[in-house]
Amino acid sequence: MDMDGDIPMEEVSESRLDPSLEDDEHADHNPNYSFSQPFEPKEGPIPALPKSSVNQLDQWIEQLSNCQPLSEENVGNLCKMAQDVLQFEANVQPVNVPVTICGDVHGQFHDLMELFKIGGPCPDTNYLFMGDYVDRGYYSVETVSYLVAMKIRYPNRITILRGNHESRQITQVYGFYDECLRKYGSATVWKLFTDLFDYFPITALVDNRIFCLHGGLSPMIESIDQVKDLNRIQEVPHEGPMCDLLWSDPDDRGGWGISPRGAGFTFGQDISEQFNRTNDLSLVARAHQLVMEGYSWSHQELVVTIFSAPNYCYRCGNQAAIMEVDEQHNRQFLQYDPSVRPGEPTVTRKTPDYFL
Amino acid sequence: MGYITPVRRILTAPDLEKWKESPTYDSVVSFIETLAEAVKGKTNDAECEVSLPVSQVLLVLDDVEKSIDKFPVIQDKNTSRFGKVEFRDFYDEITQISKGLLSSRIPKLQLHNDGKTDNDENNEHCNNEHCNHDNDDDDDDPLTEICVYFNESWGNRTRIDYGSGHELNFMCFLLCLVKLHVLDLEKDATAIILKIFIKYMKIMRNLQQKYWLEPAGSHGVWGLDDYHFLPFLFGASQLSTHPHLKPKSIHNKEYVDMFKDKYLYFHCIWFINSVKTASLRWHSPMLDDISGVRTWSKVAEGMIKMYKAEVLNKLPIIQHFFFGKILPAPEGVSRPPSSTTTTATTAHTHNGETVVDPDSNEGLPGHVHTWGDCCGIKLPSAIAAHQLEAASKPIPFD
Repeated sequence: MDMDGDIPMEEVSESRLDPSLEDDEHADHNPNYSFSQPFEPKEGPIPALPKSSVNQLDQWIEQLSNCQPLSEENVGNLCKMAQDVLQFEANVQPVNVPVTICGDVHGQFHDLMELFKIGGPCPDTNYLFMGDYVDRGYYSVETVSYLVAMKIRYPNRITILRGNHESRQITQVYGFYDECLRKYGSATVWKLFTDLFDYFPITALVDNRIFCLHGGLSPMIESIDQVKDLNRIQEVPHEGPMCDLLWSDPDDRGGWGISPRGAGFTFGQDISEQFNRTNDLSLVARAHQLVMEGYSWSHQELVVTIFSAPNYCYRCGNQAAIMEVDEQHNRQFLQYDPSVRPGEPTVTRKTPDYFL
Repeated sequence: MGYITPVRRILTAPDLEKWKESPTYDSVVSFIETLAEAVKGKTNDAECEVSLPVSQVLLVLDDVEKSIDKFPVIQDKNTSRFGKVEFRDFYDEITQISKGLLSSRIPKLQLHNDGKTDNDENNEHCNNEHCNHDNDDDDDDPLTEICVYFNESWGNRTRIDYGSGHELNFMCFLLCLVKLHVLDLEKDATAIILKIFIKYMKIMRNLQQKYWLEPAGSHGVWGLDDYHFLPFLFGASQLSTHPHLKPKSIHNKEYVDMFKDKYLYFHCIWFINSVKTASLRWHSPMLDDISGVRTWSKVAEGMIKMYKAEVLNKLPIIQHFFFGKILPAPEGVSRPPSSTTTTATTAHTHNGETVVDPDSNEGLPGHVHTWGDCCGIKLPSAIAAHQLEAASKPIPFD
């Protein structure tokens, strides 16, 4: 019984929902959390791009900023260039002030363009994105392509962390896989991007004072240095520190709690206090949860949640926000509403195979 | 009779393959196909015979509906999660009353002193070779099983969400009633949809709107719908013989308003448009794509294929499917992960203190911690070893 008709998903069918079957030479699926094989970033500085690559990138960025996806071949080129850049980045990527810190985007491309209008264009403004570029929204392909292209073009101006949705398994459940099939007719682009996601750094440290990551803290990570000991180049594991950093949530209850999500933990104010004290931090900035005003403080301003997808999924009615941090570490939140969408979608109607 | 508390058994990709070939899978599919066929060409208000058992089920649903009013949303706290916490009170109420409710409203399910229900004599399913009788269980009450499907039909208590998996549980509840000869599929099929399912949909819409249930496992714009699948499937069948309405009619606001109370499909479109902003093409490209299909009969056929592929064949959904004696597990699938996680409670004990997973009514292999989340003492390696079987770890909720 093949209900998938002609959709050429066979090539990934084996790996579907089971990353341990991935034919991936570097993937370490033995869940011993890989402390023994820490990821060693390449020594910088990142080599300057040849002129031809710069021109190529500028053309792609121009095309993408009009919400036109790249060809499959060019996505392949893009991902290869991105891997060359991302392997210079550490698990705890250092970031300087001033910087504008952003949360979930989830394929809401036009709202991402709005974000750059509100926060100022990149590279004039430095940006730090805390993951979840794909899934659920209409334009995950365009969104992640654009951010990756910007990363390659301006590697010291924009930092893109990994979110829990930058994962093979999760994207197969929450929309990015469906979107790639729908827009490219095959899963090749999905494969290219999800392989690239393994290289995204998992945390960033802004001027040694603000620890930024997608989800939250882990009971296995007491000091930031321990994050450096992880081997991040793998599918997001089902458990362990790397999983927690991408999945956990702050909670009103103290201590560690079981997360209703089924991955990561909830952590209380006592945990945040201890972590910030141990690591001499002023703040943990994270994303991962929808908050109605676009940002929300927890734990007496030891933790902030930032969510940058306004009116999430066209139904939540939430505002979005970004957080500017200036040279003196003053923080300012900029909130915004959904952008005005231009007419109807540009994607042409296509009958799903089930209905042929 | 040997009923058991239903357990989850589909944990791995090989389990899923066995599930697809299993008699329970076939009986779910055939049940849904029969129901779809029974409402072909019929509007919601078409005449149909309401048998006594159908009216009894409707009374149960009336009671559920009344329970909702008992739990108004009071604590309108601006929490980061969307669902309203009063849903949990509603859910707890239902799980507390469901057994009594079902046995009082549906007398055929009542146990007699001899431990038999009214219809045990003509109960064929227990002779079924797929029943896997263990003979080590003497629970004679089918409600042990039925209540689980019934309780799971309203959403997830912890996450305050709802999705096609919960909808499937409601179908399993009805299928159990058919297998126990409470409902007669030959006579009742039309009323099961036009009366019972429509009533269920009314309750679900009420719950979704009142408690802001989150979509469970939503594909966002790339899914068919945030919450439901089957009203589209049954609704397309209703429309499949219509002389004038076409799939593209869903873009016509007047048609949608005019037919929303006549056809399940149009009601779904109306509902989506009422809760989402921007046009249908933006927030529901899948429905938009389907609107390009020439005829409703093609849509109806495709819906069955899509339901199998996107719901019944998907591990993230079927890992939550419950198996008992009425709906037996496929041969040779994973045993329930461990005795503490097979059924209703997941707990582990540390220093005499029992830590209960609040999500434990799920019975998932779940979230047993291998490091010190509660007392800093590592758990015994047997549990740790089990946790290392990554393949049986359920897909988390984002």
